[in-house]
Amino acid sequence: MNLRDKLKMLEKPKVKVNVQETVPAQPVFTDCWRTQATHAASDYPISRETVMLMQGDDMPADFAAERILYLDTETTGLAGAGTVAFEVGLGWQKGSTFHVKQLVMRDYPEEKFLLEEIVRIAEQFDVVCSFNGKTFDLPLLKNRFIMNRIRTDCLDKPHIDLLHIARRVWKLRLQRCNLTNLEEALLGIPRVDDLPGAQVPERFFSYLKTGDFTLLDDVLAHNEQDIVSLQNLLCHMCRMYENPEQLRFDEDVYSMGVALDRFRHTEEARRCYQLAGGSMHAASQSRLAQSYRRSGDKAAAVHIWQGMIARGEGGIQPFVELAKYYEHTARDYEAALDVVRKALIRLAEPALFENCAVQEARNALQYRYDRLKRKAGKPSR
Amino acid sequence: MFMRNVVRWETIPPREAQYAAYPEQLDQRLIPVLQKRGIHQLYSHQAHAVRSVLAGRDVVVVTPTASGKTMCYNLPVLSAILENEDARALYLFPTKALSADQVSELYELIEMMGVDIKTYTYDGDTPGAARRAVRQAGHIVVTNPDMLHSGILPHHTKWVKLFENLRYIVIDEIHTYRGVFGSNLANVLRRLIRLCDFYGSKPQFILCSATIANPQELAETLTGRPVELVDDNGAPMGARHFVFYNPPVVNRQLGIRRGVIPETRNITSMLLKNGIQTITFARSRLTVEVLTKYLKDLVRDPLGNAGRVRGYRGGYLPTERREIERGLRSGSIDAVVSTNALELGIDIGALDACVLCGYPGTIASAWQQAGRAGRRKGTSIVFYVASSAAIDQYIVAHPDYFLRQSPENALLNPDNLYILLSHFKCAAFELPFEDGDSFGNAPGTPELLEYLTDANIVRHVDGRYHWSAEDFPASEISLRSASAEENFMIIDTTNPQKHRVIGEMDRFTVPMLLHENAIYMHEAQQYQVEKLDFDACKAFIRRVDTGYYTDADLNVTLSLLDIEREDERSGVQRGLGEVRVSTLVTMFKKIKFDTHETLGFGHVRLPETDMHTTAMWWTLPDELAAKYDSDTLKNGMLGVTNLLRIVAPLSLMCAPQDVAVLYQVKSPITNKPTIILYDNCPGGVGLAHKAYGMQQLLLEQALQIVTDCSCPFGCPSCAGPMGEIGTTGKRTAWELLNELTR
Repeated sequence: MNLRDKLKMLEKPKVKVNVQETVPAQPVFTDCWRTQATHAASDYPISRETVMLMQGDDMPADFAAERILYLDTETTGLAGAGTVAFEVGLGWQKGSTFHVKQLVMRDYPEEKFLLEEIVRIAEQFDVVCSFNGKTFDLPLLKNRFIMNRIRTDCLDKPHIDLLHIARRVWKLRLQRCNLTNLEEALLGIPRVDDLPGAQVPERFFSYLKTGDFTLLDDVLAHNEQDIVSLQNLLCHMCRMYENPEQLRFDEDVYSMGVALDRFRHTEEARRCYQLAGGSMHAASQSRLAQSYRRSGDKAAAVHIWQGMIARGEGGIQPFVELAKYYEHTARDYEAALDVVRKALIRLAEPALFENCAVQEARNALQYRYDRLKRKAGKPSR
Repeated sequence: MFMRNVVRWETIPPREAQYAAYPEQLDQRLIPVLQKRGIHQLYSHQAHAVRSVLAGRDVVVVTPTASGKTMCYNLPVLSAILENEDARALYLFPTKALSADQVSELYELIEMMGVDIKTYTYDGDTPGAARRAVRQAGHIVVTNPDMLHSGILPHHTKWVKLFENLRYIVIDEIHTYRGVFGSNLANVLRRLIRLCDFYGSKPQFILCSATIANPQELAETLTGRPVELVDDNGAPMGARHFVFYNPPVVNRQLGIRRGVIPETRNITSMLLKNGIQTITFARSRLTVEVLTKYLKDLVRDPLGNAGRVRGYRGGYLPTERREIERGLRSGSIDAVVSTNALELGIDIGALDACVLCGYPGTIASAWQQAGRAGRRKGTSIVFYVASSAAIDQYIVAHPDYFLRQSPENALLNPDNLYILLSHFKCAAFELPFEDGDSFGNAPGTPELLEYLTDANIVRHVDGRYHWSAEDFPASEISLRSASAEENFMIIDTTNPQKHRVIGEMDRFTVPMLLHENAIYMHEAQQYQVEKLDFDACKAFIRRVDTGYYTDADLNVTLSLLDIEREDERSGVQRGLGEVRVSTLVTMFKKIKFDTHETLGFGHVRLPETDMHTTAMWWTLPDELAAKYDSDTLKNGMLGVTNLLRIVAPLSLMCAPQDVAVLYQVKSPITNKPTIILYDNCPGGVGLAHKAYGMQQLLLEQALQIVTDCSCPFGCPSCAGPMGEIGTTGKRTAWELLNELTR
């Protein structure tokens, strides 16, 4: 049996392709296919200061909304050297118009032209904005540059990755932060007849097999929508960061506070904590007190903890914080003992906290209590 | 009493060291550092290796344990990096444990030189944040074949610096790369070299092997290049004693000897009582656990001395293993009972004594294990305790075979179609093939590309074959077994509040050891398997204390896929071809500790596992088969099968588990009584081919053994015990073999 026959005996690998009449695409291979479209740009101004509130990356001093390149790719797979970006959507704002340019390779030999076109366009911009591009799109394109022996640093620019920002602010409430979810929840635009991302590779392979370019219509429409959404979403985020009182959900306000804290924007974070009410009030107050404590404003922190205790908010945590303050800062052991005693009493309330951490918390409090007793110069019980 | 059972006491005289000067080409900055470590000159083999590598040749170094082989690769690598700080090296070790060991030695050298050479380990345990640094800045990247295969090669664009500047590929312990694992590695290396071509680097190979018959051939098959052999070992060695011990016969009629486990227990106890640090090797995980339990019981006292005896095998978690290795080096552990897991170069220091509980299966393995006892100075001793298994009895009856015969060939077959095709796909994913390209020295690149094109996996356009599928092909292969399936987690549920993972096991072994109601032993503690979740790959076990252990029975069925060759000589038909082997565990036995009597049976309900492999077979002529009634024929064929199981590993020079022999009274292959020998791994590594090429030699050797054996009705050392083959089995086997070899 020769090799060919042996191979025939092997089970055919399962490949998801809708095999129709095989009409190979007519190769051109001197350029890639491209399309241009325009939309009305979202009009909220994008400022350098606000973008820098959202994330840690430094932005160029001469930052301008018109110098942001929005980028999103459609690929043949998820990872590895054999995964190709067969379509790259690029967008930018000029005045009140938002331009979308989509580059498609109609067959593998066109990839080189597609990549060269990206280099040409990217060099005209200062900042890249994407959705998960830091982890996915950009490394993938860099792989493709290497595979095609194109040496370029055209994508090594300050990067605004909307996924990371969105996760910090909206994950608590929305759980899933994919682009479609965010569009619907934040912008109020539901997607209609959208192609699920998981089907994209299959569409491309089917197109290759059949030469029927219309198979890519949905992919292109989906990608165009993604690019437009990037700009809309960024504007929306700027608006919300500048006007947190416009956020309608306490979870979002609280999360934005935490996000601002993370990048040391203390004043803006406090503003959010003060705004957050409802179910997030206790958590926000607690964060706010921590923020004051960190900056040395102990009195403000004590005031908040006392308020929380008075309202019965935040479980025993404000007691513990207050006890720490009395013990280590004020060195008022009697006051500390008093707080710990109250906390222990509160823990003893039946059915207040029914989880296994209670035992641990009680032990920790007891330990603190005994230490305070010693410090207060009285014999331990 | 003891000496009465000693069949042979061989003394191997001590060997003097052979030294050589530092090669001139070596970067001179290295020499003061080596001198500071007390190394004033190199052993002859080290100098030879360094000189050849620095002269630009690929080498394979063959040396016994503890002969300073790491110097053979560390010195040229460090020398190259000192001279050009862009130079990179890739180290491959078969296991993570080994890489951890070797790197610590490398760190020491670098530290003493006070230079900025970065050595990083890159494996499944490397934290995500550290990976970037490894990819960018690691001068020496230490990894294993699995990680290279699935974590590095498919993502090669992230490793530009490594691939562009790769000077040396160091592969240690290459003797472990035989069979499936070796065939896989050879293909991984084809992929690696292909990518180096793309990035314009031309790395050299430095390979190291324990003593095997064909190190050079193995090295050349793995790398696909000519490789220079360095085997002039110059390391000194103290005197060694090798004792062949055969347990006394307790039932002459049945040819049954005292059990190998109790005898090993006695010998190890004697060593233990005399304060001699001992390593005992057992063939199965089960035996390791049983022996560990016995020895722990022996030293158990309120002071916790049971901890001075430890078990060691695959399936223990890494932290536990590291702790045991440390204990052996520091001397806080007196005795360890291990499977071949400790056979590899894991640093446990040199011990005084080694006990082999049964023949490890190959001469190479036996020497590797024996090498664990033996210091550069001072005397050491090795006991070989034979079990009643035929191969063990053969060795103990012919010590010279063991002492004089060269060890086995490591066979591998990089062109095994299953393995080749899998890696060919990976290669196509990593870099498009172009018209006229080849894949290392693999045959049939155009056919493979045509196949992949037809299957819509690659797309041929403009002279290139572009990967055109959504799959990530590297995730479809596991290098160590034929299956890409994940390992099973073993979860202790004794404390319902706190489930604990205590180990893991590969999918092929699970049906044997982790079927429901199996007694699973871990560090001599018994557990019962309460639930086996085959889909979730989890086994839930609970601590128990029973007086028995369990042993599962494996059922094998076989069907023909394709006949490759056939011939006929004096009425005996032989064939060679591809077969499908299905294995199924249906029941298990409960066996009492100490007496080893069977207490009862249990049923196992588990899915069947399939394997395609290569087989050869002998068909009995009709007139020969017609001479016997069906029971007599069956027993005779079983006898022949048992005999072939003894001679096949010896003649084919492989481990007993690598080759399987069975008989079928009415075979689906030939429709006649047939005896079949097959490669016990998917696709085969060439054993059936080799057996086919030996003509009647295997049958002649089998006839020789059964003719020479003095037992009346068969014993474990020839056609099998009477209980298995009946009173006529031996006689019939002899007659059949006589006819078949006429």
